[in-house]
Amino acid sequence: MLSHIFGLFINPKKEWQAIHDSDCSVTKCYLSYVLILAAIPPLSGYFGTTIFGWQFGARDAVKLAPESALFIAVAYYLIMLVGVFTMGLMIQWMGKTYGAEQPLSRTVSLAAYTATPLFLVGVFELMPILWVNFLVGLPALGYSVVLLYTGLPIMMGISEEKGFLFSSAVLAVGLVALVCMMVATAILWGYGFAPQFVD
Amino acid sequence: MNNEATTYNYKVVRQFAIMTVVWGIVGMLVGVIIAAQMAWPALSFDLPWLTFGRLRPLHTNAVVFAFGGSALFATSYYVVQRTCHVRLISDKLAAFTFWGWTLVILLAAISLPLGFTTSKEYAELEWPIDILITVVWVVYGIVFFGTIAKRRIKHIFVANWFFGAMIITIAMLHLVNSAAVPVSLFKSYSVYSGVQDAMIQWWYGHNAVGFFLTAGFLGIMYYFIPKQAERPIYSYRLSVVHFWALAFTYIWAGPHHLHYTALPDWTQSTGMVFSLILLAPSWGGMINGIMTLSGAWEKLRSDPVLKFLIVSVSFYGMSTFEGPMMSIKTVNALSHYTDWTIGHVHSGALGWVALVSIGAMYHLIPRLFGVEMYSKKLIETHFWVATIGIVLYITSMWISGIMQGLMWRAINTDGTLTYSFVESVQAMHPFYIVRFMGGAIFLGGMFIMAYNVFKTVSSGKAIQAPIPEPAAAH
Repeated sequence: MLSHIFGLFINPKKEWQAIHDSDCSVTKCYLSYVLILAAIPPLSGYFGTTIFGWQFGARDAVKLAPESALFIAVAYYLIMLVGVFTMGLMIQWMGKTYGAEQPLSRTVSLAAYTATPLFLVGVFELMPILWVNFLVGLPALGYSVVLLYTGLPIMMGISEEKGFLFSSAVLAVGLVALVCMMVATAILWGYGFAPQFVD
Repeated sequence: MNNEATTYNYKVVRQFAIMTVVWGIVGMLVGVIIAAQMAWPALSFDLPWLTFGRLRPLHTNAVVFAFGGSALFATSYYVVQRTCHVRLISDKLAAFTFWGWTLVILLAAISLPLGFTTSKEYAELEWPIDILITVVWVVYGIVFFGTIAKRRIKHIFVANWFFGAMIITIAMLHLVNSAAVPVSLFKSYSVYSGVQDAMIQWWYGHNAVGFFLTAGFLGIMYYFIPKQAERPIYSYRLSVVHFWALAFTYIWAGPHHLHYTALPDWTQSTGMVFSLILLAPSWGGMINGIMTLSGAWEKLRSDPVLKFLIVSVSFYGMSTFEGPMMSIKTVNALSHYTDWTIGHVHSGALGWVALVSIGAMYHLIPRLFGVEMYSKKLIETHFWVATIGIVLYITSMWISGIMQGLMWRAINTDGTLTYSFVESVQAMHPFYIVRFMGGAIFLGGMFIMAYNVFKTVSSGKAIQAPIPEPAAAH
């Protein structure tokens, strides 16, 4: 399953077709792909913030307390696992509007493989300098969008014209989900679930 | 066919359409300059008229009232004539609104850099200009509603409802908010004081967003999306329901700009609750726009104008979701005064208002000059350039904003602040550079548009469009 990663960067269309044909179940997709790849950002983040620390401006890096970092990393991991599944559900639900009804296994695969570049770029969280993360994150996000637009017509079995509209709708849902994450962060932080730093 | 009774008045539409492009470039250029000043403060060169404090109101006034306003005048005059099957009631009064509005903009461009200001946000212009605005706006209302009154189609198309609501509400907001006591020709003081002044200010400020930047541009959406997609509105009933829901709800949302201030707490909570309710009518409009476009999916990949329209509606949906979320007090406690707000405003302003206006202009301008757009490929290029610009702008402000909020709030175990303010400024620097780049790229797109429009207009000619006979009632 992990072998698809390479192909998604070299020849995305061909690889999406292969993913479509392999037709794996939700459980298998999670066990062999999502659980592994989604671990990259939280693991990198954990080691990055506890060993190297956040760097703000010119002062020394601030490190997170290991317990606090562990809590955040686990929450981060769970959110991504739930997030991929939710996006799969949303794609399946919206498929009814666009005349593309597909089993959940396929829509979840679509969501999971689309997120590949974002999972991989998570490795940069080993070096938690916000603007560096931002600069490498943007092209990764861009490539995820490309994967979405190329993969969706193939996975959902619809024409490219219809797929274009459908992909745009998925992108809009993704944006709303992103805003939800920001708001959840702000609210949790506001209620005292702030990270603990090492003095 | 030059008879005034048998043709539409396209002259005033043409004037405002061209000025939409011109003022778009001017307003966004000022925006890019002040974005550069945020990243590199030395760029104000110690010249008073070039400082951020004077150029920022110039930027907001130019993009909202000059660029957005011209787009609204152009489209509303076009739509009201075409959907009522009559010429505007008076060519002279219509011409007066064009020259009057242009004069207002020029006076703003002179007085704001010179430092004349009422210090009311989005209403900085001093009292003589405010009176001129009132006169122009009343004449606008006379022309618009007068044209509706002598319509030859019984039904008033929904886009006109939105334009009409905009004209009436903006008149009310402007008159109440700008009420002031002049002390000299160039200086006046607000008649309100203290927290009442702040509340009136944000009642005005948020409804300038709600009725100028939302209702007016929804009017554009409801005419130009069905036209460009060649599909009927997905649900006409929904358009009417969400019109009334928006009109009743928006007017109460202003206090969310004043969370945790001297404003009474219950007023803040009222503002927050109405802001949350607003999500429903806002998304009613978004769903209507997207579902109308969905009917034309086979054209979407090949028609760049439709791309502008669908992305604008998506950004409308995103920012009207983000807005209510940010009005929640707990979220606002972190997001207020940070760049998250700036990012939110620009996802509405660039993503929704600018893109829908640009899409409407690409539809409108060739029809006003009787030709096709000079280059479809350049429209496509403009679309991608604009999108990249917006993405850079919004993402950089999101990250910068949340980082600011968290840094300002971080406290040590002994209760002292972890970071000094200037440290957060230093940490924002890279994001300010990215924001500047995003804005500059978006402005670049406007230059592509200007070139395309120039080539189109110079190959076409001002046409006289005959008024068709209304279809018989079915």
